[in-house]
Amino acid sequence: MKRAALSCLLIVSAAISCTATCFPVPARSDTGGTPLSPAAIDHMVRLEWQKKGIVPAPADDDAAYLRRVYLDIAGVIPPAAAVSDFISDHSRDKRAQAVAALLDSPTYADSWTNYWDHVLMGGSVRAQTVDRSAFRSWLHSQFDHNIPWDKVVYNLISASGVNSAGGTLAMAMGAAPSPSAAAAQGGQPEINGATNWLLKYQGKPEDLSGNASRIFLGVQIQCAQCHDHKTEKWKQADFRSFTANFINTRAKPVDAKANTKGMVRVLDIEDVARPFQPRGKKAGSIADYASAEPCALDGTSFSDAGNRRRSLAAWMTAPENPWFAEAIVNRIWAHFLGRGFVEPIDDFRPSNPANMPELLHSLADDFRASGFNIKHLIALITSTQVYQLSASAQAKPGVGNIYWAKYRLKPLSPDQMLDSLVQATGIKPALEQNVGSNLDQIRYQLQRQFQFLFDVDEEFEQKDFEGTIPQALMMLNGGLVNTSVRPIPGTALSELESIAGGDDACVEALYLRTLSRKPTMAEAAMWKHYVNEARPVAATAPLAQVPQEITRAKKNGKKGAPNSGYNPLAKAAGKLRSVAATPRQQAYEDMMWALLNSSEFMFNH
Amino acid sequence: MDASHMYNNLNTKLHPDNTTCAGPTPGSSIVMPGRRSVIKSGMGMLLGAMLAELSAPEMARAAYTAKKAKPKSCIVLWMNGGPSHLDTWDPKPGAVTGGPFKAIKTRAADIQICEHLPQVADVADKIAIVRSMTSKEGNHQRAQYLMHTGYTPNPTVVHPSLGSWVTEELADPHFDLPGFVSISGPSYGAGFLGVQYGPLVVQTPGQMPQNVAYAADVDAGRFDRRQQALAMLEGNFAKQTGDPKVSGRVSVYGKAVKMMRSPRLKAFDISEEPESVKTAYGDTNFGRGCLMARRLVEAGVRFVEVVLDGWDTHQDNFNRVQKQMNTFDPAMASLIKDLTDRKLLDDTLIIWMGEFGRTPKINGNEGRDHYPGAWSAVMAGAGVRGGTIYGSTNEDGTKPADKPTPVCDLFATYAALLGMDNAKTFNTPIGRPVSITEKGTPIAQLIG
Repeated sequence: MKRAALSCLLIVSAAISCTATCFPVPARSDTGGTPLSPAAIDHMVRLEWQKKGIVPAPADDDAAYLRRVYLDIAGVIPPAAAVSDFISDHSRDKRAQAVAALLDSPTYADSWTNYWDHVLMGGSVRAQTVDRSAFRSWLHSQFDHNIPWDKVVYNLISASGVNSAGGTLAMAMGAAPSPSAAAAQGGQPEINGATNWLLKYQGKPEDLSGNASRIFLGVQIQCAQCHDHKTEKWKQADFRSFTANFINTRAKPVDAKANTKGMVRVLDIEDVARPFQPRGKKAGSIADYASAEPCALDGTSFSDAGNRRRSLAAWMTAPENPWFAEAIVNRIWAHFLGRGFVEPIDDFRPSNPANMPELLHSLADDFRASGFNIKHLIALITSTQVYQLSASAQAKPGVGNIYWAKYRLKPLSPDQMLDSLVQATGIKPALEQNVGSNLDQIRYQLQRQFQFLFDVDEEFEQKDFEGTIPQALMMLNGGLVNTSVRPIPGTALSELESIAGGDDACVEALYLRTLSRKPTMAEAAMWKHYVNEARPVAATAPLAQVPQEITRAKKNGKKGAPNSGYNPLAKAAGKLRSVAATPRQQAYEDMMWALLNSSEFMFNH
Repeated sequence: MDASHMYNNLNTKLHPDNTTCAGPTPGSSIVMPGRRSVIKSGMGMLLGAMLAELSAPEMARAAYTAKKAKPKSCIVLWMNGGPSHLDTWDPKPGAVTGGPFKAIKTRAADIQICEHLPQVADVADKIAIVRSMTSKEGNHQRAQYLMHTGYTPNPTVVHPSLGSWVTEELADPHFDLPGFVSISGPSYGAGFLGVQYGPLVVQTPGQMPQNVAYAADVDAGRFDRRQQALAMLEGNFAKQTGDPKVSGRVSVYGKAVKMMRSPRLKAFDISEEPESVKTAYGDTNFGRGCLMARRLVEAGVRFVEVVLDGWDTHQDNFNRVQKQMNTFDPAMASLIKDLTDRKLLDDTLIIWMGEFGRTPKINGNEGRDHYPGAWSAVMAGAGVRGGTIYGSTNEDGTKPADKPTPVCDLFATYAALLGMDNAKTFNTPIGRPVSITEKGTPIAQLIG
C-alpha cells in the first residue's frame, strides 16, 4: 500500500462562517416560513403553462399512478395484488397513503441504495481497496434511518475510519455474502463504509474534489482542472484550492502484514496534521494542489482549519450554502419528473440557467426548512398535480416538454428492470428452490449483465431512446425472459391453469402482473383471439447448457465483460422442465413474452 | 475522391516532429444546437462551400454518399496489460535492459524485431513501428482509457472510444450487422456519442454473439407470432403516448431482428473456414479472434477489436512474453497476408498496441513493471507507409531518443489514415466541443 494518499484530522471544525455575504445567494421567493404546498407548486407551473400556451395532459389514472410511485420510490413495479387493491380502494387520500407506505417500506432504502451506489461508484470499481458491499451497507443505513441529507453528505465527505471488515474481493463486489455483519459483532473495529468512496479516488484528489462538487453542489468546477475558460466563472486556481481540501487524507493498512492476494485491503482513513508534502515521481500534479490555499468555492479559506475535509463538508452542507439544497432538489425532481430545472442535472452555472428558477428555490427553501428531509421532499413532489399527469398524446406540451406538461417516459434503470422482471414473472421461488444459497451470486451476475447492457449515463437527460442491439437481443432471445415466461412452479404461467374465469381472467392476471393495469375491452378481445388461434406447437430444442462464463469471467477478471447470455435460470428450468404442451399454453407464453418486451413495460410512464 | 485525399485537402498542417500537442485550430466554428450533431470543422466548411446550392437534405445525402464511397475499416489488436517494447518491436540485445531475446532481420531492410516474431518479420514491409511512444499514465485503468479514447480520464465527460468514433463516422446506419465488434473483451463504449455506437461484445471467439439464436422451444414461426403480439402492444402505446422514444425502441428491436436473420451473420462463424486457414492463425482464442475479425471486416463491419490478455508480466516476464508472441505472431501475420490477398489491406487499418510499455529494468522476479515513459505501437494497411520505423529509444530503452510521440499524435494518425476529420468536434452533454483526437497532429512519415 502506497502511503501517499488523501487525508483528514479529528479536530472538530470551528464554526464555519459562511454567510450570505461571502457569495451572493440568488434571490428567492419568500415562503414566509410556511411549508410549500403541492397546490402552490401546481399554481406556479400552471401560470407558466398559461404564459406559454401549453395544454397539459389529462390526469393519470390510479393504476398508472401506483406503478409510477412504485418504480420511482421503491425501484420495482407493484405486485398484481397491490394494483387490484389500489384500484378498488375508494378512500380519498389513497394516493398519499400509497406513497407513505412505500416510504416506510424496506424497498425504499434498497432502491435509493442502488441509485446512489450507481451515482457515486458507477458501473464497476475494480480496486482492491474498495469494499463496495460495505459502501452499500453504509448507504442503506442512511436511507433506512432517513438521515437528513446534509448529515449524509457531511458524513461522506468527512468520512474517516476503517473501510472494510475484510474478506474476499468477490464478496466486496457483491458476488458473495458479506461477512461484515458477523465481523462487526466479533469485536472488530467499527467499519465506516463511507470511506470506500474516498478510496475509489485514492491518489487522485482532483477527481474526488471534482465529483464532490459536481454531485453534491451541481458545480462542475473540474472543467477548470486543466486551464481557465474565458466565459466561465471558475478558474484553475479555484479548482486547485478546492482540491487542496482533500490532499491530507491518508489510508493506512490496519494490518501491514496481511495477506492481500484476492482480498480487500483493510485500511484506516485519517487525515494527517502536517500538510502533505509530495515527493518523487508523483509530486507533479499533486504538488499543484498541495501548494494551493485550501478554500471553499466562495473563497472561504480553510488554511487554519484543523481538518480541512471536515471544514469543507460543513461548508458544503450548511443551510447558507447557495448550491447544496438546490442541487439535490433538482436531482430528485428530475428523478420523479424526468427532467430537472437545470439540465444536465449537475451543471449549475450562470450560462446554463434554470428553468423556473423561482420554483426551484421555493422547493429548496422548503427542503432546508424540513431539515433536509428527503422523504418529505418525495412526499411533496408526488402529491403535486404536475407529477400526476398522464403521458397522453393529447397534451400540447411545447417544444421539448420542458415544463412537464405531460409525463415524460423514463426507461427503467438496470436495477428497476431486473427487479420488475423477477416480480412480474414470479420466477423468484424457482430460483430460490433450485439454486438456493447461490441466490446472491446469481443476482450479482444478473445485475452486472443488466448494468453492462442497459447502463446509461445518468448525468444527462435522454432526448431519444438509446437502446442497443445487444439489449434488444437479450430481451428477445435471452435466458432470463425466455425461462421466466415458462410454466415453472411459482411463475405467472404456472398459475394460469388454476385461475377460474377462463381467458378473460387469465389475460387480466398477466396484465396486472406486467403492465400493472387491467386490459381494455379491445385488448382483452384481441388476446382471447390470439391465444385461441390455431397454431402449431413449436419445435422443442434442448435447453442450452449453463455456459462456463462464470468461471471465465472470474479468470478474466480484469477485462471480462459480463456475459449477456448467462442464464442461471436454465438450471431451474432444466430441473423443472415443464414445456408448454398445447398451442394455447404456448400462446400464453408468447403473450407474456410480448408484454415483457413491450415499451409499456420497459418505460416508467 | 477518396477519403485520405479529402483529408489532405483540408489544409491541415502535418507536423512530423511534434511532441507537444498543438492547440485546436481557432476560427472555424459553426456550432449548431444538440449535443452530438455539431459540426464545426474544416470538412463541414469545405462541404458547405462545395454544396452551397444544394438543399439541406440533398447536402446530407451527398455527404453521406461521399462518406460511403470507400469507407475504411479498422482492426485493433489490443495487448491487454502493457507489453514490453524491448522484448517485441524494439530489441536491444546486449543492453543491460535487453533481456535474453535476439533480434532478427525482416523483409524490410531497416527493421529488426524480436526473434520470436518470425512470421510478422516476413510481412514487415507492410508494417510501420512507432518506437518512441510516450505517455504519463502508468495505471492500467487510466492508461487503457487513454489508449482506447485518445484522452486521459476526466470526470466531466466520458470520451468515445476509437471504435465508436469510427462507427459514428464511417458505418452505414442501415447495415444489418453492428458497426463495432469487440472480441474477448468489452473494449470501451461510445461515451457521449450515445450507446448505439458502442461495441457488440463477443466473449469467446469461435462462438456466435450472445442471444442471436432463437430461445429454446422457439422457431421462426413462433418468433413471428411473438413479434406480431409485440407489434400490437407497441402500436397502441405509441399512439397513446405520441412519444418518439417508443418508435426509437421499436426501431432498435427491428435492427436486432434484422441482425438475427441477416445472411451476413455467418461472418461470426469461423467454422466455415478451411482447416489450413485456422491453423495458420493459430489454435488460440486470439488466432480465432483475428480470423473472425477478418471475416467481419470482409462482411462490412467497420471496427473490430481483438484482445490478447496476459501482458502484465511483473514476474517471469520472458517466458510469458515469449508465449504471448507465439500467440500473436501467426495471427497478426496471417491477418496481414489474408487482407493483402483479398485486396483489403489498403482499406483496413491494423493497429497493434497496449496501454503502456514495461520497465526496461528487469525486477527481482525476472519481471518488468508498468512503464509509460517509452514504448512501441505498430500499424499496417489503410495507407500506412510499410517498412517504416518512426522514432527510437535511447540505448537502454528508457526514453525516446528521437521524435517522442504523444498518444494524441498517434490517434491523429489513425484518424487521418481512416479518412476521419480531425477537426470535427462534437458537443459533450455540458456543451464542450470535443474532437476525435484531442490536439494531436498526424505523423506525415507514416502515411502514404
